[in-house]
Amino acid sequence: MESKFWNEEIETMPRKQLEQLQAERLRKTVEIAMGSKFYAPKFKELGITPESIKSVEDIKRFPFTTKNDLRATYPFGIASVGLDKVVRLHSSSGTTGNPTVILHTKKDLDEWADAMARSMYCIGLRSTDIIQNTSGYGMFTGGLGIQYAAERLGALTVPAGAGNSKRHVKFITDFGTTALHCIPSYATRLAAAFEEEGINPRDTTVKTLIIGAEPHSEAQRRRIEEIWGAKAYNNFGMSEMCGPGVAIECQEQNGMHIWEDNYIVEILDPETLEPVPEGELGELVLTTLNREAMPLFRYRTRDLTRIIPGDCPCGRTHRRLDRFQGRSDDMMIIKGVNTYPIQIEKILMQFPELASDYLITIETIGDNDEMTIEAELKQATDDFAMLQNLTREITRRLKDEILLTPKVKLVGKGVIPQSDGKAKRVVDLRQNH
Amino acid sequence: MKTIKQISIFLENQQGKLGDILTALKNDNIEIQAASVADTTEFGILRLITSDQTKAAGLLSAKGHLVSLNEVMAIQVDPTTGAFADAVDALTAGGVSISYLYTFHKDGKLVLIIRPASLEKAEEVAAESGLTLVQGWE
Repeated sequence: MESKFWNEEIETMPRKQLEQLQAERLRKTVEIAMGSKFYAPKFKELGITPESIKSVEDIKRFPFTTKNDLRATYPFGIASVGLDKVVRLHSSSGTTGNPTVILHTKKDLDEWADAMARSMYCIGLRSTDIIQNTSGYGMFTGGLGIQYAAERLGALTVPAGAGNSKRHVKFITDFGTTALHCIPSYATRLAAAFEEEGINPRDTTVKTLIIGAEPHSEAQRRRIEEIWGAKAYNNFGMSEMCGPGVAIECQEQNGMHIWEDNYIVEILDPETLEPVPEGELGELVLTTLNREAMPLFRYRTRDLTRIIPGDCPCGRTHRRLDRFQGRSDDMMIIKGVNTYPIQIEKILMQFPELASDYLITIETIGDNDEMTIEAELKQATDDFAMLQNLTREITRRLKDEILLTPKVKLVGKGVIPQSDGKAKRVVDLRQNH
Repeated sequence: MKTIKQISIFLENQQGKLGDILTALKNDNIEIQAASVADTTEFGILRLITSDQTKAAGLLSAKGHLVSLNEVMAIQVDPTTGAFADAVDALTAGGVSISYLYTFHKDGKLVLIIRPASLEKAEEVAAESGLTLVQGWE
């Protein structure tokens, strides 16, 4: 009989044994990270040596790592191995300051492909499946990360890439694609493209969707499943950890199993950085246990989530993360792109016609997340064309910066609401926030 | 220069905005003689000729509206068929390009409020064509 598991031993490992494996891998990871110019001095100062790691509890002795650390050491400053061992780099979609670069050795790529293949297997995908990837192939990990994993699984893989819905429709129809990897908003857009061709998405061969990289609600998932007549599974990855393949829902669809043989999971109070009681909301902090080129210790993801208490009926012992409830910083995720209000502010402040107040509103219009930016005009003018050009120019410059096209609205004084004298910058009206 | 003052007020498309402006003027006994709105779906400009432009501009500014006082040309013609067309024809023939125009009736005459690309040029052409320029009313 076919196994329910990609790697039964690991996936169903009793907790105690799993924690021993984690401690062992943490020791190994410390050994590797002694080669990092970034970590080595910190370890020395804190007395962290491979021999000093007795259990997974020792993680509390480690310093935190933040996205700013990655920026400050751009591009190769955190590397634990020489570049001769590095075979690939990926870069984050964020556009504030330096991008972040994540390095991979051959083994890292191998482990990553295996983890994501395990995730695919977990949701019922097999070598008989035809998996079409709608993520961009390039610096974004959703392209190559899914590709290598689907190949590892043995599935026929269609690297169609981002955009061009008509082409996706044709490929799905012609090749008999059974599974799609996409961001949730694209799942609905692609369904609309089918309807334009007079095809009901429910009549296609697609039976499974892997959705992720964009926050979405349970209602949104159910809607995607309804439109497609298929199962949609929430998938979690982040380039700092490797990419897709960090955690995924099993067929119970109740929380994402995070592969704890690869990561130490902590849920901490973002203020005190102390652990929250199990089951309570906090910031997800991750330590890589199976990476060589660039291990990261206690990486602050800024994503707010909780551990779903209790055992999962699927038999996997790796704990489950609940849907993300937002961020402990002000990062906004729109259409899979990460944006910070400060990036928008920086652009607006380049226009002498604008005063300092602005308001970013994000809402779901139809199937898409749309961003509206209200910017306060400094003074009136009788020049109508100037205001139109100004709106266009602001839109263009913002698009260059944040890679999304916002709707720009000029407003007069006092229109932007003030709370406690301090301007509110972001209003997120999406139902999952 | 023979011009009159016009008030231009920035209008964000927000319910009640126009009402606020008109009520403020009414409460201060300022008479609106002519009004014109240019708009897109996102914003508009309300242009007004009132009985007291300086007072109106000050009042609306104080209420937090974005207001600009600017110069436009006012041509007075007889309210007869064709007079409007003749005036515009004369300006066009003289090479004046018109950004926008609106009209109102006052003291039995038709007044054309015109924002030309160049006020100097328009004034010159208007004078040559024998058009009557208004510099304000008492």
